[in-house]
Amino acid sequence: MKSPQKHVYLFDILANLTAVLVMLFILVALSSIVVKGFPYIGEAFLSEEVRFAVKLSLYTSSVSTLVCLLLAIPTAYAVTKTSLPFKRFFEIIIELPLSLPHIVLGLCLLLIFSSDFGTFLKAHDFKVIFEVNGIISAHIFINLPFVIRIIKTAFMGVDSRLEFAARTLGASKFKMFWRVTLPLSKNAVIGAMILAWSRALGEFGGALMVAGITRMKTETLTANVYLNMATGDVGQALASATILLIISLISLLLFNAFNKQTGESRVKNPMLY
Amino acid sequence: MIALENFSVNLGQFYLKNINIRVAKGEIFAILGATGAGKTVILEALAGLYTAENGAIYIDQQNVSNTLPEERNLGYVHQDYSLFPHLSVYQNIEFGLKIKKIPKTERLNKVKDISHVLGIEHLLSRYPRTLSGGEQQRTALARALVMNPKILLMDEPFSALDCNTKERMYDMINMIHERYGCTIIFVTHDLHEAKRLADRVAVIQNGELKMICSSCEIQNKDLL
Repeated sequence: MKSPQKHVYLFDILANLTAVLVMLFILVALSSIVVKGFPYIGEAFLSEEVRFAVKLSLYTSSVSTLVCLLLAIPTAYAVTKTSLPFKRFFEIIIELPLSLPHIVLGLCLLLIFSSDFGTFLKAHDFKVIFEVNGIISAHIFINLPFVIRIIKTAFMGVDSRLEFAARTLGASKFKMFWRVTLPLSKNAVIGAMILAWSRALGEFGGALMVAGITRMKTETLTANVYLNMATGDVGQALASATILLIISLISLLLFNAFNKQTGESRVKNPMLY
Repeated sequence: MIALENFSVNLGQFYLKNINIRVAKGEIFAILGATGAGKTVILEALAGLYTAENGAIYIDQQNVSNTLPEERNLGYVHQDYSLFPHLSVYQNIEFGLKIKKIPKTERLNKVKDISHVLGIEHLLSRYPRTLSGGEQQRTALARALVMNPKILLMDEPFSALDCNTKERMYDMINMIHERYGCTIIFVTHDLHEAKRLADRVAVIQNGELKMICSSCEIQNKDLL
């Protein structure tokens, strides 16, 4: 069999060189934290404060991710699969927080929860300002548009003829969604969940505005890094940063594993092109 | 009997105008026309995808214009077969039965029966992406027929098949028609196909009904 002719393109070489440089820069930057922080990890895990920060980070990230999914799935469905009026307006407003700094989003929440609405919630035993609920609220507000965007793209990618086929086979709109649209978007939904979780884990600015940083109360891992740097305890800061990095790496690997199928190129042999 | 009476659909960029078609019970009826003529829109409107701007659709003297697609009891075979890629052939055929909450044993028997009739028993554990065009089409047919529909709608069902497979599928459609006795309405752009299978043919041009005649009478010039 005749093998395809291989060409060497200058553009390909330059692109590959750039990719190597970018990868090396990121690898060196992250490795510097791991190399310097790793010796302190054992000590960090012995510290009650770090253990609290890890637990709080995992708890707030998980709760906020779950709430984000519960809100994002119906919203994404509404803007992609229904005849919602002023759909474009909805989309613009929903995606607006994506372009704003997290600290500004946190400030928005601070204003909302400092208003009469916040007082009303507080009267009903739901405290937000300087509380763990504040961290979760900030995570949700920051990540929700992002999760909606991923799931919306996935729903848009589901062939409407498949959904129509389900309807002609007796499925109501809900059953059509449950048995066709959602399973076909499974990879994107799981991917959005893992990314939202890891983003929440690393979030700092928004939560700082709403919940502040109180040791052993609203102290997440990122807050722990900040506090330790502020007090000059660089070793502990590096250890917490390394723990964050390891958790993020695991979530990213999971994300890639779930997206392997959808992320693969359809072109089997790019050398032919 | 199925009837479209003064039926119009406005899709913005396409307008289906004042269609009057009556199809008798048990008839094989072809909707013939060039690409973009509006054939598929008629079929999709029958299945309940579009709301009429004017006119009505009747099935057995009942106005079904506002009936939801899932309540029309119509079988629909899409042009690209639209098999659910995340489900096996068995699960695809079983889909509608499961929605209707048919007991598992009954579902199993029905799927086995229809797959035996269509010769796809050996494919039941496979996934759609591994099937040939003809196999996909038989699976789509099985999925529609297992629901025992009164009316079977098929959108360009043979357009993606080679000549030999087409001939075999024509025979299979005739066999299905005899065995299940359902009314069949299919869309095609192929005059030979319409003549070969249909009792009567409606010719559609630019969203308008040009003529309805017996399939023996229709000629190439009628499509111009």
